[in-house]
Amino acid sequence: MNPFNYNGGVCVAMKGKNCVAIASDHRLGAGRLTVSTDFPKVFEMGPALFIGLPGLTTDSLTVVNKLKFRVNLYELRENRKIRPHTFKAMVESMLYERRFGPYYVASVIAGLDPETDEPFVTAMDVLGAGEVNEPFAVAGTAEESLLGLCEALWEPDLAPEDLFETLSQVILNAVDFDCLGGAGATIHVIEKDKVTTRTIKTRMD
Amino acid sequence: MALSKVCGLDESWESYNFEAPAPEVSGMKLNQPRLSLDEFAVGLSMPSVDVNQKVVQALLEDESDVQVEHQKVANPRALFLHGTTTLSFKFQGGVMVAVDSRASSGQQISSQTVNKVIPISKYLLGTMAGGAADCTYWMRVLNRQCRMFELRNRERITVSAASKLLSNMLYGYKGYGISIGSMIAGYDKRGPGLYVIDNDGLRVAGNCFSIGSGSPYAFGVLDTEYRYDLTDKEAYELARRAIYHATMRDPYSGGNVSVYHIKETGWVKIETQDVSDLFYKDRGL
Amino acid sequence: MGDGERYSFSLTTFSPSGKLAQIEYALAAVAAGAPTIGVRAADGVVLATEKKQKNQLFEEDTIVKVESVSKNIGMVYSGMGPDFRLLVKRARKIAQEYKMMYQENIPCIQLVQRVAAVMQEFTQSGGVRPFGVSLLIASWDNKRPYLFQVDPSGSYFAWKASAMGKNYVNAKTFLEKRFSDDMVIEDAVHTALLTLKESFDGQMNETNIEVGIATAKDGFRLLSLPELKDYLKSIT
Repeated sequence: MNPFNYNGGVCVAMKGKNCVAIASDHRLGAGRLTVSTDFPKVFEMGPALFIGLPGLTTDSLTVVNKLKFRVNLYELRENRKIRPHTFKAMVESMLYERRFGPYYVASVIAGLDPETDEPFVTAMDVLGAGEVNEPFAVAGTAEESLLGLCEALWEPDLAPEDLFETLSQVILNAVDFDCLGGAGATIHVIEKDKVTTRTIKTRMD
Repeated sequence: MALSKVCGLDESWESYNFEAPAPEVSGMKLNQPRLSLDEFAVGLSMPSVDVNQKVVQALLEDESDVQVEHQKVANPRALFLHGTTTLSFKFQGGVMVAVDSRASSGQQISSQTVNKVIPISKYLLGTMAGGAADCTYWMRVLNRQCRMFELRNRERITVSAASKLLSNMLYGYKGYGISIGSMIAGYDKRGPGLYVIDNDGLRVAGNCFSIGSGSPYAFGVLDTEYRYDLTDKEAYELARRAIYHATMRDPYSGGNVSVYHIKETGWVKIETQDVSDLFYKDRGL
Repeated sequence: MGDGERYSFSLTTFSPSGKLAQIEYALAAVAAGAPTIGVRAADGVVLATEKKQKNQLFEEDTIVKVESVSKNIGMVYSGMGPDFRLLVKRARKIAQEYKMMYQENIPCIQLVQRVAAVMQEFTQSGGVRPFGVSLLIASWDNKRPYLFQVDPSGSYFAWKASAMGKNYVNAKTFLEKRFSDDMVIEDAVHTALLTLKESFDGQMNETNIEVGIATAKDGFRLLSLPELKDYLKSIT
């Protein structure tokens, strides 16, 4: 079985006005079995920095630990908070180090620049090839649906509440057509000095 | 053999040469149906290349199209309704039939509102699992055959006979990649009847069955709670719960659960419920 | 056998007074090296050094003492030229590795820390000797100027102005008197040249000194001969 579909799951992030939001579903599968419906795939990397790692769960957990290690080391060594741009470069480098035996995870990064509060989102594939300058980023088993929904529903300068609503609709409607995703979703809306985390209900079948 | 007549089988079918080379037709190698099934399967053309079992196997295992003698054979797997949970059991009140309603191709959900129970007659139901097109087509053929039987013989066809019709037809196409897993349930002069049919030609009678990717989960509930002397209400609840739990665990099953009850007087549809509604009702949310 | 000799056979053995003789000797090599001045201004940093040829037959324009490390960082030394070139090579590699990893230029303090770590390693490893150089590292990054000095021991300091090499004590005294926080880069170059001139043996001209500046506009660069000539005119 394709390692990307073994556990299933999706992540999506979006830019708003002075804010960003990132979401993941809650399903964890093991092939043709749903093991858990309480397994979000977004991890905190700083006060205003999050990474979503859909893919092979064992690799997601390894990658998130390795990244946290690197971020901690970076922040101690440089005595400053890591910027989302720098973090993206770090993830890219780390993934490409495994060019010939990759971690089976895609990455979605969302955050605000610690100095300028500039919103930032990006997504990259297993080897760390990232997209740039898109207002939204998607990854996971319903990637195509997510991208289509983002294209249809996103608009510029969404306020935090509208961003939450838009992203909710995107992830909800995407996972409703994905066998391997769904079972609820968690959405983080990141603003200056504030992160609002909410869970939404989706179909559970 | 009356039944073989009904089935349209050639008298000499037992000595039919399965390995005989297909006749050449205007330069193209055409395979003939192995049994004379024209009466049922009108206009079903055989593949224009020799699709042997190996190729079919390759098609089933791999999702990409397969190259056969410079011709691309479209992979039927992409069209499959692979994920399904269907169940049926006999009990003191007749036969229960319950199914989910999800259709998926690959990991994509293509519909949440598919009807997987096909009425064959007032007293007969068939369930669908496997290829969507295969199921609907062959159920339609079976439906016609059963009606023909009733007109010719002025009596209702038994569950046994009906299931055997389908089984024999499918056996004739064995190895051609047809994908069907079906339960034929009904009520006839002998009482409640229940058979499992599949595309390999399998036909088994029994009291309690489940078919599809969600069947292991459905069996888990069914085997624990099943008794022949279930009351009607208990039976409805069991059928519904077995499907519901299967849809929770099986990513390829979901949508609605539909429950049917076949009694001496014919089948009745008991209910259709959204399994997600059941989930949230279950949790009091 | 005197105290110094007894504890100098091994690089990694302390003397009873708590000193590592080899490092003291390395500092002596630095103190005997060519004078080098660094001055931080409000809008940039200047590095200046004496480049007197031992032989007048040398092709003087082939000898470079002030080197760029990255777009916005440069360094210069007092002490042994070959040791410096190895450190330049390492510093450039460190800067490029950082850029590969994070897709941004290395901050000066990061480079200084890592170069200092290299120099420290050479005070504690087997089969090597400490570097016979002190470095001045100048940069414009993070919207401000930086001037660092790194010594053979691996210790480093940020300075407003510093002097190394021959006569550095007098030069520092001179700088203390001359330095002010609101100097602009032109004043800083002027001050650096005046400081060099204090101890300069013979006539100072654009071929026997070398000056590099770090500014917001250009990053780090060497001053050209005509630019140097202009500055020198204002001194005499």
